[in-house]
Amino acid sequence: MQKISKEELLSLARLSRLELDEGEVNSLMHQIEAVLSYAQRVQEIAQKGIRPSVSTKNSNVMREDVVIPTDSSPILEQAPESEQHYFVVPVILENN
Amino acid sequence: MNTLAYATIHELQEQLAHKKISHAELLDFFLDRFAQHDAKIGSSLEIFSKDSILKDYVPTGTLNGIPGLIKDNICQQNRITSCASKMLENYRATYDATALARLKNEGALSVDRANMDEFAMGSSTETSAFQKTRNPWNLDCVPGGSSGGSIAAVAAGLIPWSLGSETGGSVRQPAAFCGIVGLKPTYGLISRYGLIAYASSFDQIGIATRTVHDNAMVLSAIAGVDPKDSTTLMVEKKDYTQALKGTIKPGLKIGIIDNALNAEGVDSHVHSAILSAIKEFEKMGASVRTLSLPSMDYGAAIYFILSRAEAASNLARFDGVRYGLRDKEAHSLLQLYEKSRKAGFGKEVKARIMIGNYVLSVGHAAEFYNNAKIAQQMMRHEFDQIFKQVDILISPTTPTTAFKFGAFDNNKLQMDLQDYFTCSMNITGIPAISIPCGFSDDQMPIGFQLIGPHLSEELLMQTAYAYEQKTVWHTKHPVGF
Repeated sequence: MQKISKEELLSLARLSRLELDEGEVNSLMHQIEAVLSYAQRVQEIAQKGIRPSVSTKNSNVMREDVVIPTDSSPILEQAPESEQHYFVVPVILENN
Repeated sequence: MNTLAYATIHELQEQLAHKKISHAELLDFFLDRFAQHDAKIGSSLEIFSKDSILKDYVPTGTLNGIPGLIKDNICQQNRITSCASKMLENYRATYDATALARLKNEGALSVDRANMDEFAMGSSTETSAFQKTRNPWNLDCVPGGSSGGSIAAVAAGLIPWSLGSETGGSVRQPAAFCGIVGLKPTYGLISRYGLIAYASSFDQIGIATRTVHDNAMVLSAIAGVDPKDSTTLMVEKKDYTQALKGTIKPGLKIGIIDNALNAEGVDSHVHSAILSAIKEFEKMGASVRTLSLPSMDYGAAIYFILSRAEAASNLARFDGVRYGLRDKEAHSLLQLYEKSRKAGFGKEVKARIMIGNYVLSVGHAAEFYNNAKIAQQMMRHEFDQIFKQVDILISPTTPTTAFKFGAFDNNKLQMDLQDYFTCSMNITGIPAISIPCGFSDDQMPIGFQLIGPHLSEELLMQTAYAYEQKTVWHTKHPVGF
């Protein structure tokens, strides 16, 4: 069983840039523990040790870097807040 | 008029060609189907106005005038593309996804946005932030997911075709639950340009229809290389209906995946329906053998890790800065991120992002992410080897028929395990198609999947079509629609 502590969960939430409600902490903890505990079985198969080479149909695709003129206004219209051609966010560095 | 509701695309085209109905009347007919029946199943998030549907209609092509439905994680220009999430509730796409653009070029019409699990994360469409979608065969049951809206509408005869998306089984599983045909193509066959990402190395647009021929028609319109998606394969446009001969490939070798068919938890009705389907293939002259793919027993575990890891990374873009929901109370940038994401994402999405960051974090990546990548390689190798012995594999699409709403509220892990038989094809990138093959005692549809090596869509469709021609399941429709 993969156990995670409340502190671990809250730090994971911070890493994920998620604020959590106190009410959802416990159920999220159980849900995440259950998935991780199940997922641990990948060790069994991975430890069999062989790392076979396999076929894949995907290959690297190169292209020229071409500038295509684009009208940015439909994209900026989606912004919660914008000014001229910039997205506006709350203050990043505060004066102390 | 129900003859039109469940008509094939080909039959609709004949009606149009013989002027028994006009294009405008056909569109009215399907809009009316939604108006009359969608309140019962809730497949649609928004039905578009007739004028807006016809605005850029090109009256020519292989799907001329044939209406369809688009899952709400596929961008439709100037329309909301919400992923059934509060995060994108008011987001308007600024371009058409390549798949949609190609359908429009063939004269097809997009009539609405289909409900889905939030950001395609779920197996019942219950995680949608907006509404439930019901299974037309039993309104107390889920349609499956995550493409539940796309599939339920086709099953109820509200529309002839729809696009969904697959990351771990999100087209095949609901197709099996609702008794229709669902295709998950080879990774890279259909462009992902304009498909909002969940797990980019697995995501693939899928197609839902009531018949294999209809499915092949839609695939023919959208498959092939796209300069806007460098993961598309160098496959030229072709007509997949040419593969539908009505007979199987001479000497076809089918492998029954024993550890799927005889896995714990496979419902007895499902088991016997698959056995009957296998007998049908034998009657057609296929040679059948039983084999096992031990790595498939690890498929769900591999999928849980890799899909959540990619999701954590992909969904980092939803931060309240450039588009989507923004919390107005935030006083700092960090608060803006945390509060916007809290308000925008539902619980399942939050859980998956956190699991993704856990399995990628310094202390845990070796145990989880790295092992899952090794296991993925081993699984790919195992499938490569199996396809040296057989042409095609067969397994149940799902272990049971559709379940009731809330069935897994107290056991989310069991819900996640819905992907048990389907996610291995996403992990390996190979194609699979789910076909209806019978009903349980309580009249719920059952499906099996045919699985082939990379780019074997023609063989899969030929085989599925031959089966369909010998059976009646595709002619059965839910009552009351």
